[in-house]
Amino acid sequence: MQKKVACSFPDEVLEHVFSFIQSDKDRNAVSMVCKSWYEIERWCRRKIFIGNCYAVSPRMVIRRFPKVRSIELKGKPHFADFNLVPDGWGGYVLPWIAEMAGAYPWLEEIRLKRMVVTDECLELIAKSFKNFKVLVLFSCEGFSTDGLAAIAASCMNLRELDLRDSDVDDLGGHWLSHFPETYTSLVSLNSSCLGSDEVSLSALERLVGRCTNLRTLRLNRAVPLDKIANILGRAPQLVDFGTGTYGADLQSDVFSSLAGAFSSCKELRSLSGFWDVVPAYLPAIYPVCSRLTSLNLSYVTIQSPDLVKLLRHCPSLQRLLVLDYIEDSGLEALSSSCKDLQELRVFPSDPFGEEPNVSLTEQGLVSVCLACPKLQSVLYFCRRMSNVALVTIAQNCPNLTRFRLCIIEPRTADFLTLEPLDVGFGAIVEHCKDLRRLSLSGLLTDRVFEYIGRYAKKLEMLSVAFAGESDLGLHHVLSGCESLRKLEIRDCPFGDKALLANASKLETMRSLWMSSCAVSFGACKLLGQKMPRLNVEVIDESGPPDSRPDSCPVDKLYIYRSVAGPRFDMPPFVWTMDEDSALQVHALHVAEYNRKPDWIGVGTYEESIQGLRAKMPFVLYLAELSNTSQCSSQPLLSGDTTLTPPRPLLRLPIETLESDDKTQRSKEGKYMIKMRYSMNPTICFEIRPISTRSFPGV
Amino acid sequence: MSEVELQLCLALPTPNITKGFKFNLNNYHGFDHLKQMSCSGDKTSRVIKKRDFEHAFGNFSDDCNALPLLLWSGQPNEEDDNHNDRKKTTFVTDDMNDVEVDQVVGWPPIKSWRNRTCHHHHHHHHKRALGNGRSIYVKVKMEGVPIARKIDMRHYHSYQQLTNSLITMFTKNEKCDGDYNARYTLTYQDKEGDWLVAGDIPWHGFIRTVQRLKILSNWG
Repeated sequence: MQKKVACSFPDEVLEHVFSFIQSDKDRNAVSMVCKSWYEIERWCRRKIFIGNCYAVSPRMVIRRFPKVRSIELKGKPHFADFNLVPDGWGGYVLPWIAEMAGAYPWLEEIRLKRMVVTDECLELIAKSFKNFKVLVLFSCEGFSTDGLAAIAASCMNLRELDLRDSDVDDLGGHWLSHFPETYTSLVSLNSSCLGSDEVSLSALERLVGRCTNLRTLRLNRAVPLDKIANILGRAPQLVDFGTGTYGADLQSDVFSSLAGAFSSCKELRSLSGFWDVVPAYLPAIYPVCSRLTSLNLSYVTIQSPDLVKLLRHCPSLQRLLVLDYIEDSGLEALSSSCKDLQELRVFPSDPFGEEPNVSLTEQGLVSVCLACPKLQSVLYFCRRMSNVALVTIAQNCPNLTRFRLCIIEPRTADFLTLEPLDVGFGAIVEHCKDLRRLSLSGLLTDRVFEYIGRYAKKLEMLSVAFAGESDLGLHHVLSGCESLRKLEIRDCPFGDKALLANASKLETMRSLWMSSCAVSFGACKLLGQKMPRLNVEVIDESGPPDSRPDSCPVDKLYIYRSVAGPRFDMPPFVWTMDEDSALQVHALHVAEYNRKPDWIGVGTYEESIQGLRAKMPFVLYLAELSNTSQCSSQPLLSGDTTLTPPRPLLRLPIETLESDDKTQRSKEGKYMIKMRYSMNPTICFEIRPISTRSFPGV
Repeated sequence: MSEVELQLCLALPTPNITKGFKFNLNNYHGFDHLKQMSCSGDKTSRVIKKRDFEHAFGNFSDDCNALPLLLWSGQPNEEDDNHNDRKKTTFVTDDMNDVEVDQVVGWPPIKSWRNRTCHHHHHHHHKRALGNGRSIYVKVKMEGVPIARKIDMRHYHSYQQLTNSLITMFTKNEKCDGDYNARYTLTYQDKEGDWLVAGDIPWHGFIRTVQRLKILSNWG
């Protein structure tokens, strides 16, 4: 009866209903109801979020969702932000752009985080998507302002260009002048990360002047203070403004025009930038302070009294980023001025100094937590903490959703009792029932993980460093945290047992990172073999992990679930532990025996694959089986095993054979491929034509 | 008991890392005390794992061209404002050229761009960038106050402004009454390393030469 009712709705009606469902979770739930809903939903899904670009392949996404307009991709693991992921690890967006260029000509939005973007990618975007509107490159790298120039020149409907925190090769400010004079659609521009001293001020001013819908403008450091008034004068409708350098010799006329410009910005709610601040210029922003909801002073190196003076003008503040110059006294003042505070981030001014340079302790955070009832998100760097402070925080801020505490010296105990901080963090997870993100620091035993496993049921992301005593700690987290999606661990004594015992948990998570822990290579291999839907990657820059005993700990381990299988773009220092890894060990030893420049013998297919996985540059020649000393003079294929996958690689020669090489085409059967490594001598193996063998991974 | 150099290297290849790796039980207890660790298990187990590594490998070459990450000789540091009651040891190495203090890679967890664009220093003798408007940071210590401050000389344009600001900065913690000038003298260390009384040379010359500031009490 009910089935009938469901089917009686025409597809268009359902599609219309689905269009009101925006969240990914809900969309995914809709698609699981029944087959017809799956079909309808997939055709009308417009927005895709892929938290790990290696969890799925571009082709799979395109096959399922043919009409996507907006895509968000994330690449490298979070610890890449702290230089724990070596360069070249991966996260290349080009394969995605290349596939989408053909499949999604109407793509409007691309949002990337921690991915490698090249100028080639940007140029491809510029020419492939006619209605392109939004480009957000969050903590990306690999491109220059030339690529940005291509975007500027071609994307007539561009609304948002946000380069936040990206590492851009800034070749000077001329890319801005590539926006045509007829271009007026800009709504948001964040170029604050650009590092060159040069910027084309006139192009910037003209751009700002003609884009009357501009709401967000974050300048880079190269824009001097005396230009701000002019820029703001052209964009009084700005809601979010980031200054460039905010320092210069004090001149009263500059000050007054600056103050005047700020006061005419009635919509301004967010300020940032403020590099090289000269305190005398700060009062110029007082006219807008009462309306400010977000203030980023994390580059402002002025002392607490001046900071407090400023903050007293900002009663509506909801979000504050500041350096620890604010000190406990300043935070106390903040807590009495800014009752609406929701997010607080305090960064260290001298993180590598051995002694504290400011009077910022746990007291500052406690005073804010006691007085600001709406506080939800905390990032706090300090040098000492106590359990009693953490308990106070937990009890007074039960609405915390993000709590990241970094006690600068690893394994610092409670300064009052010299005990571990287990109880304090335990209180946090017990009282803050909606906690989604937690970063631990200080002296911690396995107990804290017991508390986390027991109470942190909504926890999605956990960062752990220099903590714990045994595998039990990791086991508590993996077995208890039901909502856990991302777990990143460094320098903890967690080994094989907890990992292997909770292997199936890993398939319910996005990813697990473990570095400088005690997970053995043998365990990684086992995990890789037993869990086909997990990619188990070992990162080790000191050489192939199988040249050491299985019991040796791996340096870095990154495990993530994937339906795409092992990735193909791994650099030489990343090893994947999949089903073939057992053979991998064997084959590398085979490779080592081949000391002579000529090949020695016909290897098996499997051996050949593994030989290719030795990650070295190669040249492929063709030689007939009967005449093994001779090979064709033309290389079939050359390249670098780091870039091409072993399996498709073996496909390529055959295709080349069949299409290009007429003499070999009719010769089915066995062929010899000679490979010459740049470091190792040749390894040979046989291939067979596609028709007589099915290649895995095709 | 043999002497120890606990060495963790930044650069690989690994074989070189474990060269000269031994374990000093004496210093370990001190390390334990210094780090205020009540559980020592994890340190030892890390140590043992590295040993297995060494056994598995065999012979190593003598030169470690890797940059030592953490080299602890157990010697007190040379800074003159070291307090006796401070429980930490500075990690000093002979091998390294310019970095005075070693850090663990990626810790504290601060984004690299923030390190780049901020004034975070890896060593205490940072470069001065005069003439381009960039900041000039100077450490300020007041006699009897444990916490030193860092100020940006670019914020001030005269000695008066500087001393006014220092008064505010330091005396809010001290119970100061009476004339500040009578109680304290501002001294500075110049480029040549000499300690002088501030105020004798013109301001612009002063900010070009000042390395450190110290506020001395006139009493006693």
